[in-house]
Amino acid sequence: MRSITITPQKAFCISVEAENISPDKFAPLTLSQIKSLVVWQGNRQKTLSELFVVEGDDAPAKAEELTIRLIGDFSQVKRIGEGMTAGVVLAEESVGMHAGNNMLGGLLSISGSADDWLAREMRGGKVLVMGNAGNYVGSGYRGEKCGMRGGEIEVRGSAGAFLGEHLCGGSIRIAGDAGDFAGAANQGGTIFIGGSTYLPGAEMSKGTITVKGEAKVLPSFQKTEIVQIDGLAFQKYAGDLVDNGKGELLVGVGSS
Amino acid sequence: MGGLKEMIIKGGIVYDPANGIYGEEMDLFIDQGRMALQAKGEEIDARGLLVMPGGVDAHSHIAGKKVNTGRIMRPDDARQGTEPRSAVCRPSTGYTVPNCYAMGYRYARMGYTTAFEAATPILEARHTHEELEEIPIIDKGALTLFGSNWQVKECVRDKDLAKLAANVAWGLCAARGYGVKIVNPGGGEAWGFGANVKGVNDPVPNFDVTPAEIITGLAQANEMLNLPHSIHLHFNNLGKPGNYTTAIETLDLLKDIKPSRMRQVVHVAHMQFSAYGGTSWRDFESKAPVIADYFNCHNHATMDMGQLLFGSATTMTADAPLEYGNARLTHNKWSNHDIELEESSGVVPMTYFRKMLVNAVQWAIGLELALLVNDPWKVLMTTDHPNGSPFVNYPEVVTLLMSKPKRDLEMATLHEQLPKRTTLAGLERELDWTDIAIMTRAAPARVLGLADKGHLGPGADGDVSIYNLRPDEVDTSLDHALVKKALANAMYTIKGGVVVSKEGRILAAPPGRTFWVDATVPQADADRLMIDLEEKFAKYYSIQIANYAVQDAYLPHANVIRAGLSVPQEVA
Repeated sequence: MRSITITPQKAFCISVEAENISPDKFAPLTLSQIKSLVVWQGNRQKTLSELFVVEGDDAPAKAEELTIRLIGDFSQVKRIGEGMTAGVVLAEESVGMHAGNNMLGGLLSISGSADDWLAREMRGGKVLVMGNAGNYVGSGYRGEKCGMRGGEIEVRGSAGAFLGEHLCGGSIRIAGDAGDFAGAANQGGTIFIGGSTYLPGAEMSKGTITVKGEAKVLPSFQKTEIVQIDGLAFQKYAGDLVDNGKGELLVGVGSS
Repeated sequence: MGGLKEMIIKGGIVYDPANGIYGEEMDLFIDQGRMALQAKGEEIDARGLLVMPGGVDAHSHIAGKKVNTGRIMRPDDARQGTEPRSAVCRPSTGYTVPNCYAMGYRYARMGYTTAFEAATPILEARHTHEELEEIPIIDKGALTLFGSNWQVKECVRDKDLAKLAANVAWGLCAARGYGVKIVNPGGGEAWGFGANVKGVNDPVPNFDVTPAEIITGLAQANEMLNLPHSIHLHFNNLGKPGNYTTAIETLDLLKDIKPSRMRQVVHVAHMQFSAYGGTSWRDFESKAPVIADYFNCHNHATMDMGQLLFGSATTMTADAPLEYGNARLTHNKWSNHDIELEESSGVVPMTYFRKMLVNAVQWAIGLELALLVNDPWKVLMTTDHPNGSPFVNYPEVVTLLMSKPKRDLEMATLHEQLPKRTTLAGLERELDWTDIAIMTRAAPARVLGLADKGHLGPGADGDVSIYNLRPDEVDTSLDHALVKKALANAMYTIKGGVVVSKEGRILAAPPGRTFWVDATVPQADADRLMIDLEEKFAKYYSIQIANYAVQDAYLPHANVIRAGLSVPQEVA
């Protein structure tokens, strides 16, 4: 196993776009080549080593055999692990926006929190966040009709608004609460929310949204039966009927 | 000024069909930004390489409100094709609807130096010119929409040809427009009431006229005014199965009109979308052979392909009912727009799929048209950017036309029913560099009536493209991948005597010119027209007539071409 460690040289006032921090980009390169990869800070082009301390094994290895460790605060660093197909990225603290977007495989594990647009338009692989995630987890970016299509996202804390908007496949599991409009325009993915949310599933046409806690349900959802899952009772709804949707919404019994 | 320096292009294999040069090794000279017989100065080594005039695109949607609506609707498109700024270039975004700067850079990279915006309502022409001015490098112009205009229809109804001509001249001047564009005539009006016209003899609601009368009236006015371009027509029933009969019927209306210049009487926009057979999408088939036959037997019409390619596109047209159909069909985003007394329009994003039979047949029809029409001067190469595909894919279209093996390779990936619905599989014809130079340079310039474009004779604009291809050595049929790569990034693009692009890198981004046509009419006709117009503005328009016309301040790089009743053939 090859291991590369990246540490910011200082706190960034202007955010950094670092789509090159990905096992696929690092795999065929030696350490010195990795250091000269391009990143953008604002409108200035820099090399990776101008902003970060890069250490680790020198010899190129396959992406599957590569682990990238991010030490320190990466909350101002965007697009970490963009489009990665294999390997592991481990962040010890928080990461910035668009982490793991368009991800196809591998593991992105974040011990802190993730900012907005975590794993948007993800196709495969796994994203694990120990803290909280921002808005638009696993959703489609502006104007896009399809968000996440496959893979798995797990957030141990809470998530922001528009969780899994335009979801087309894959599964999202949030242990805590989700913000407003979770699963909006869901077209076939699966969402589980351990806590509560507000107005889930607006415009959903397919897929399943399960809310263990409380949820304000839109009037365009039709109440069907009560189902038991793992010994707990859930009220089942069909919708969203404004779009003639065939989606399933399950809300823990006890909420309105 | 860089534009004034002298330049010699040494030893290229030159294709300049307008001047009867078909692949001859020769030196070219540029002086004062124009082609010359002699010059000194910088030498460009083009020994053995393919040299053609700068490309001319006669039909492309590059500026104006509907293009901008496409941009607003499609942030997903904007993030494709982003390029950061450089020392010369401003940032680029977008693929089907690029930002203004990207339009100029991308045309220049391919060796194109001129492109015409295909549809602008007079009321929104100011916006079009603001965008055209921001498109660097290339020369431009905008065609003006007249097909559903109230005043036009009243003149046609009253059979007052002199007033109609005055109206066209006034409209072109108000819009600073280049030519007469007619889109689904009468349909824009009918759409205001949720309806459409169903054929050339279907009366337009509230006006006692038919599309046939509008088309012939405007064609006659166009020739009365001696305009450089003919009428530029988007047929009724465009994009519908079985619409080839409407196409033939419409073309037949115009065959006896005498052109006032050495050119066609009608240019048909994006013919591919109007060469459909069948009664529904289920039995949809190509009628390209029938259309091509008509063009082979008649000399009053030209067409552009409107080639469709697989992948992302954004449909945008003043044919609003068509866009409503598209939106219903695809469940995609839809913009619908009403332009007061003039037009309606719509925008719908679109993806064309290889495995969808209808799309595959559409793809084949464009190629069939270009291959079945014998005279390349009658067929311009376009994709109706961005309706069929973005213009950056022109190299793909050229290679498809030049290589039967490439077409076979493509067809192997398409729906298996395709050979039953089209004749493309049986077409052996492969175009050569002369045909391509005509379809992408000489013919578009002639069709538009641009005397100084599309050729390399002395006095022509110093627009030259040099490609890293050796016509004597490259087998365009087999080496299609090489051809496509070379055409995508010209080795040199020279615009007005300035090297603007070299091997895909933009070296200079001077502003381009905007062509428009100022046509004179008898004062008496203009006075009669103004009485009508003042009443319309007072009663119906949202703005005053005094604020209507585009001011010259919006065209700091204008190039005015004079035309009109009293002006003999003369191109400024």
